[in-house]
Amino acid sequence: MPSKFFYNEEALENLRIADPSVLDRLIDHESHRENNLKKSRLKEDKRMSLHDAIAKFVDDGDIVADSGFSYVRTPLQAHFEIWRQGRKNLSYIGSPNTLHSFAVFGGNCNATHNSYCGAEMRGTDRQFSRSVKAGKTKILSEWSHGSMGLGFKAAQYGEPYVAAHQLLGTDMMKYNPYVKEVKDPWTGKPVCLIPALHPDVCIIHCQQADMYGNAKIVGPAVNDIAEAFASRKVIITCEEVVPELSMRFDNSNVVIPFMIVDAVVELPFGCMPGSCPGYYYWAREWWEWLMRIATKDEACMQDFYNIWVLGCKNQYELMDRLAKDMGGYAYIDHLRRLEKAEEYLIEDSGVDFTYEPVIPIWD
Amino acid sequence: MNTPAPANPFEQLAYNIALQIHDGMIVYVGTGLPMVGAMLAKKTHAPHITLVYESGGQDPWEGPMPWSVGGAATFRRAPMSMEMAHSFAMAANGFVDIAFQGAAQIDMYGNLNTHLIGGDFHNFKARLTGSGGGNDLSSLSETFVLVGLQDPSKFPLKLDFMTSPGFLSGGNSRMEAGLLGKGPQSVVTQIGVMDFEPESKRMRIKGLNPYCTAEIAQMCTSFELLVPETIEEIPAPPDDVLRVLREDVDPHKIFIEFPPRVK
Repeated sequence: MPSKFFYNEEALENLRIADPSVLDRLIDHESHRENNLKKSRLKEDKRMSLHDAIAKFVDDGDIVADSGFSYVRTPLQAHFEIWRQGRKNLSYIGSPNTLHSFAVFGGNCNATHNSYCGAEMRGTDRQFSRSVKAGKTKILSEWSHGSMGLGFKAAQYGEPYVAAHQLLGTDMMKYNPYVKEVKDPWTGKPVCLIPALHPDVCIIHCQQADMYGNAKIVGPAVNDIAEAFASRKVIITCEEVVPELSMRFDNSNVVIPFMIVDAVVELPFGCMPGSCPGYYYWAREWWEWLMRIATKDEACMQDFYNIWVLGCKNQYELMDRLAKDMGGYAYIDHLRRLEKAEEYLIEDSGVDFTYEPVIPIWD
Repeated sequence: MNTPAPANPFEQLAYNIALQIHDGMIVYVGTGLPMVGAMLAKKTHAPHITLVYESGGQDPWEGPMPWSVGGAATFRRAPMSMEMAHSFAMAANGFVDIAFQGAAQIDMYGNLNTHLIGGDFHNFKARLTGSGGGNDLSSLSETFVLVGLQDPSKFPLKLDFMTSPGFLSGGNSRMEAGLLGKGPQSVVTQIGVMDFEPESKRMRIKGLNPYCTAEIAQMCTSFELLVPETIEEIPAPPDDVLRVLREDVDPHKIFIEFPPRVK
């Protein structure tokens, strides 16, 4: 199919993209604007269950934005629900996009706009490596965090593209069909043009939202503000739904306005087993188990996926299982105290940060 | 007081990283040993540095070492935290004096690979994380320091993929490509510290850790290292610095245990 837009030919060839029309929707501002013009203008109660929000607003084939920061304020429970509902042919984009490796494993995602897939010092995601090699996901573009962030910012500001100083001179330019090197018309120096990026759907976990969708983010916003404005559909999951008046009396940290939001889901512990600033810390052992043990081979990964994604209907079942493995409700409460202590919201001198790291014996 | 045990290679590395940081700088901190080195600098010779993290955390109140560059310790009682695009914009606008970067491969011009090892984009031995903020920091910071364990496979003649720019093909090629900043100022490894010859921009030995020689450095490198007339002798970390490193910075030995518990 002929593509709607013009792409970097060298990158199309290097990435072996035979049909460039698959790239179109991510940078199709026209359809983004048309979609927004059709959104309800009414300030209405948008609350619904997680199940219904995913069923209504995440479709097969959507470009899904990965939000938060790998395991910090990332709406893991909402993504687990997408996978449990069996969405197909999704593509994922995000900086980082750690989470999407497991969507590929589960058969929900078959295309990737990559920036960073991993978990820092927790270990390398060997599952992602295997999935890419086996062709289970097609890499459509390679990004750095900053360049992708600028693409979302351009979208937020309604600009067609931004000119940037990164990516130039490296292989990144040769493996990203969207970006283009041109001469800056003022200085004559090379710059990299990054187009506005428009995912289909974006789920953002916030500490607080009201029933209309006004939402507060506490702690680093990462790319979430820009992603929300850039995306065609926006689902807010939050620790607490608060009265609208509380947003008016204390509007600090309100970064998402109601009119761009499609659904509000009250979802306490929605980032579990990741962390939510102000509320709870990561289950560190869970992440180390995932990266260091589960990603070792397909069978280990399948076990892990069966238990934690398919085997838990919601966040509470996951927490029950976590508590069962880790020492009961005291463990869950400890996660709450660790987060508050590390943020220095409570006195931290008596809080013990030590834990038993997961060290696989075969290493 | 007892004399502490001599520094292991990771502790020496953390100390060498810390020495790259001068007091008063704004330091962009990546995960792993750079985090340890930056914290060590702040707790010893450079108490007035400001730490900035890519997720948006900046200037956190002193506390435990972050478990992640997105974690609570990166925005602990921070006066403000920002968005990712803004945090890299700070680098582009000249508010990041130094950044640190690890890599799977580093070439003779300080270019980095964090994408894949063994083969090419479609047929590799292992696919790695991708750029993350690496390309941005290398492209935008005023200068940056490369951190790694030096061996011939990690310091190859040619990268399997060039994720982040150092001096590209040497000479003026970095500037001509439109990149900002001065490029990498040094490479810190378990062998010592390398810098880049000002004209050719090729990697050369600057200083060697205790018990290391230029021959050992070359044996750990697949390309030819330039050797200057005089090579600095890098001191072992003093006892008081070692104590801070072991007791305050990384008391649980997450990063400085040698050999490491997790490969």
